[in-house]
Order: sequence, then C-alpha cells, then structure tokens
Amino acid sequence: MTSSRKRVIETPLRYIDLYSPEYPENIELYPVKEYLESYFPTVRVAVKPPILKRIKEKDLDRTAEAIVRCRVKDPIKEEQSFEPMFAETEFEKRAATGKARLGGVVYDGRKFEELLVSILSKEFPLERAGLLFTQRLLTTFSRDDLRHHLRTVVCGFPCLISIPGVVEAPAKPREFYLLRQQLEARGAGELELEQLKSSFSARYVDHDDPRLGEVLKGLALQAIVFHLTLKPFCDKVKCRLFNAHWQEDLISSQIANKSLCREHRALLEGLRESPAITW
Amino acid sequence: MPIFEKSSESSVTRAIISQFAKDMDGFAETDVIIIGGGPSGLMAAHDLSKKGVKVLIVERNNYLGGGFWIGGFLMNTLTIRAPAQKVLDELDIAYKQYEKGLYITPGPLACSKLIAAACEAGTSILNMASFDDLVLREKNRVAGAVINWSPVATLPRQISCVDPVALESKIVIDATGHDASVVKKLEERGLIKIPGFGAMWIEKSEDAVVEHSGFAHPGLIVIGMAVSTTFGLPRMGPTFGSMLLSGRRGAEVAYDFLKKKGH
Repeated sequence: MTSSRKRVIETPLRYIDLYSPEYPENIELYPVKEYLESYFPTVRVAVKPPILKRIKEKDLDRTAEAIVRCRVKDPIKEEQSFEPMFAETEFEKRAATGKARLGGVVYDGRKFEELLVSILSKEFPLERAGLLFTQRLLTTFSRDDLRHHLRTVVCGFPCLISIPGVVEAPAKPREFYLLRQQLEARGAGELELEQLKSSFSARYVDHDDPRLGEVLKGLALQAIVFHLTLKPFCDKVKCRLFNAHWQEDLISSQIANKSLCREHRALLEGLRESPAITW
Repeated sequence: MPIFEKSSESSVTRAIISQFAKDMDGFAETDVIIIGGGPSGLMAAHDLSKKGVKVLIVERNNYLGGGFWIGGFLMNTLTIRAPAQKVLDELDIAYKQYEKGLYITPGPLACSKLIAAACEAGTSILNMASFDDLVLREKNRVAGAVINWSPVATLPRQISCVDPVALESKIVIDATGHDASVVKKLEERGLIKIPGFGAMWIEKSEDAVVEHSGFAHPGLIVIGMAVSTTFGLPRMGPTFGSMLLSGRRGAEVAYDFLKKKGH
C-alpha cells in the first residue's frame, strides 16, 4: 500500500556493502560497519575490498582511460574536453590496482559514479546499498555558481565517500585563508604555512587526522539515509546529517555533537527494525 | 719564488678547448639528456649515473640547483617532508627535525651536496646552454634535444645568427619546472595537448606530482614541477621533498625502460 504523498517504490534494505578505499592509510571501516549496524540491526553490513581491484586485466586499459575522462581539469566547465594522455592512463591503471597513491587530481563524482555503475551495475540492486570509500577527490558541478565543488559525499547508487574530501571540501575558517594569503603574498615558505596550519589544527580535520574515522561514520549514515529516502541531509548544524560546508560545522556535527536532531532520530527509530526504501 | 707554476695563455686556452671539445663529442650521443638542473633533475641524474647510465644535464643558467638554494621568502632554510629525508641521509646532508614528519636543512648545504653527488656519480653538465627544440624520430618519438648557448636567446633575432646543435639520446627528461619547456615544445608541434595548471586549490598535491612522474610521450619523461603543468595538477609552492622523490621516480622509469630495451 502506498501513501498518496510518496512510496513510489518500497524495497527492504537488506545489505550494506562498504567498499574499502584504494589503499587503507589508517582508514578502518569496521567501526563504520558497527556504527551502521547500531542503527540498522537487521541489515547485513559487510566490509569489502576496493571495487576497482576487481577489474579484469583485459578491461584495465579501457577502464583506466574512462577514469581519466572523469578528471576535472577546468573547474568552471561542467563538461571537460580533453584526450587522455598516455601517462594519465598508466597512472590510473596503477591507481586502480592500488599501486599508486592518489592525490591532487580531482574527479567528477557523477561521472565516476556512472562509470562504476556501467562496470558493476548488477552489484547494486536497491535492496543492497553500496558505499564506496575512495582516496580520490570528488566534485559535483553546481548550477548555482556554475563551477565544480569538492564534496565529501556524492549521493547516488552507489554512494561515494571521498576520504580526502573530508579535509579539502569543507572550507577552513575564514581567518585561515586571509592569513595564508598574507603569508603567500610575502613569499612565505612551507614552514610558515605549516605553522599557520598548526595554529588552526583544532578547527579543521587534517589528512591522517585520528578524527577522520568518526567523520566517516556520519557520512556513511548520510549515504544510507539518501539510499532510503533520497533526502540525506539535515539543515540543523547539530545533526549528524548536516551537510557541512565549513570545517568548523563538520567538527560540530560529526565530532563534538555526534547525535541526530529529533526528527532524524525519530526517522531512524522508525526504520530500525525493517528499513525500507521509500521514495 | 712564484706561488703558481708557469703556464702560457695559449696552454690555458688549449686546455679549455681540448677538454670541452672532448666533452661535447661525448654529449653528442648519450643515454639520457635532462633539461633543467634543479632538484628533480639533479636527483634523477644522480640516480641514473650511479647505475652507469650516461647522463647529461643541460642547464640554461650558469649555476645549477634551481630553487633548491633557498626556501620561502628568500630564506635559505629548506623544508623536507618525510619520507624524503631518507634522500638527505643517503647523500649525507645534515638536517634536523622541526616537527614530526617535517625536517629542515640549510639550502646552500643541501643544494651544493646534491650537485656534488650528481657530478661525483658521473653526470655531465652543460651549463649556460638552453633547450631550443626536440629531435624527433619515427612516430614522433623524442630522440634528443636541440640546444644553443643561453646568451644567444638574449640577442635580437636579426643579429643572433648562431645556429643550435642537436644532441641525440635514448630518453629526454623534462625537469624545467613550471615552464615544462620540453613538453610545451611538443605541444607547439601539435603532438601533445597539455591542460596547464589546475585551478582548484588543494592542500595536498605532492603525491600526485611524484605519482605522475614518468613518460608523457614516447622518449620523453617529465619530472618535478613540470609534472604539474603537464598533467594540470594544482600548482604547488616549494615542496622540495616531492621534487627529490619525483626525480627519483623519473630515474626509475628511465632505467627500467633502458634495461628493457637492452641498453
């Protein structure tokens, strides 16, 4: 029976697959698994190896080239137009098999998701939520200001969670950028920039930060709420489903507070025993 | 009693010319030509020379070392992030830990020792010489570099009638920094399309520079800051650790290639 308002589709959520990032780098997904199980005790949550490692040798060249085409080289262009370079494809082949470290390169999250779907669509029936943790930086193109923006979570089927995105996507405090601009204007070196970062360390999450794991739990929950309702975010900064655009808000919602707002607590309580996709 | 032995002007001139002519004769055909003698180029030269590869660095300035002499704000303290301090250990360059994972070393010490290490390993140096063009072979494979004396470039075209010379090599390495002069020459010829700098600000992009160091075109390896330009990676400040490791990666790629080809 569907209500007049929604429930175009209703499928029980039975499985959640957490796909490991390309390389671990101090990222532990078992605490994320336990966290999700605490909300959905009837769902089987599993930690799986990196998804791209499953690509067959014969498909590697083609897939690597397709990954290169996901790169965002000009952030003010929605569609990127370039021919993959030989070395880029070689890099992506090594990265897909966990032999190269990712970083500095930005990928269009939507295109990357489409690529994964085209490769692995049979893996993701709706009763199975796929969450891919990645060491890639992901963007989506914003229609508001017509440019790509880095993201922590790219909601979709599967959902993508960018680990470096936790550091790079939400902005650091305004003063940080003003002070850094001053330092750069007078040619400051790495040492001074590091000192500046240190002085702000309590106000943002950094790479290799021990707090990253806690943030990933909240992002994973956002992804599952998206899977269930298509509405992953809350507008209350004290709620774990808050989509933080500032590091201080991220710390507030994911680390300092760690809880849900009343409405979302009630929503997840209602879904606890028999979570179903209700769009 | 004079301090120095007696020698004639003509002997001094002959000594310079005969040795230089001998050197140039050797430069005409080498295994690897590295364009640019900054930290990444010197590092690659050092590693390859140690393995017995015949390497020539072409440096447009009188001095080698590029920006490795000084750090930020013209202050001559260099910062090196782990694990690149292991290179300092190898080259016997003194440093100290500033904080966990971050090390500092005096620029003059580190730079001069890196230059010395490359030279002592057997690298040949041609300074005051500028890259002018590429030697291309079948399927546009890069097979050498065309060079000229640096002062020639400062003269008006109409009176600088000094033709360059071409040097052949199995591999050319572009270590020209953000200019990526060698790669841009390929672009001028329509053989490659480079995106330029990524405009998006990202704090951590050193890994990408090291990981992308390697062949950008048959016969052409790109290392150092030129990697940023070639692949459109975010522009970085002076991150010397990644320059050293990028040079090392480039040398590994070049050596593997030469070995596979039986050179």
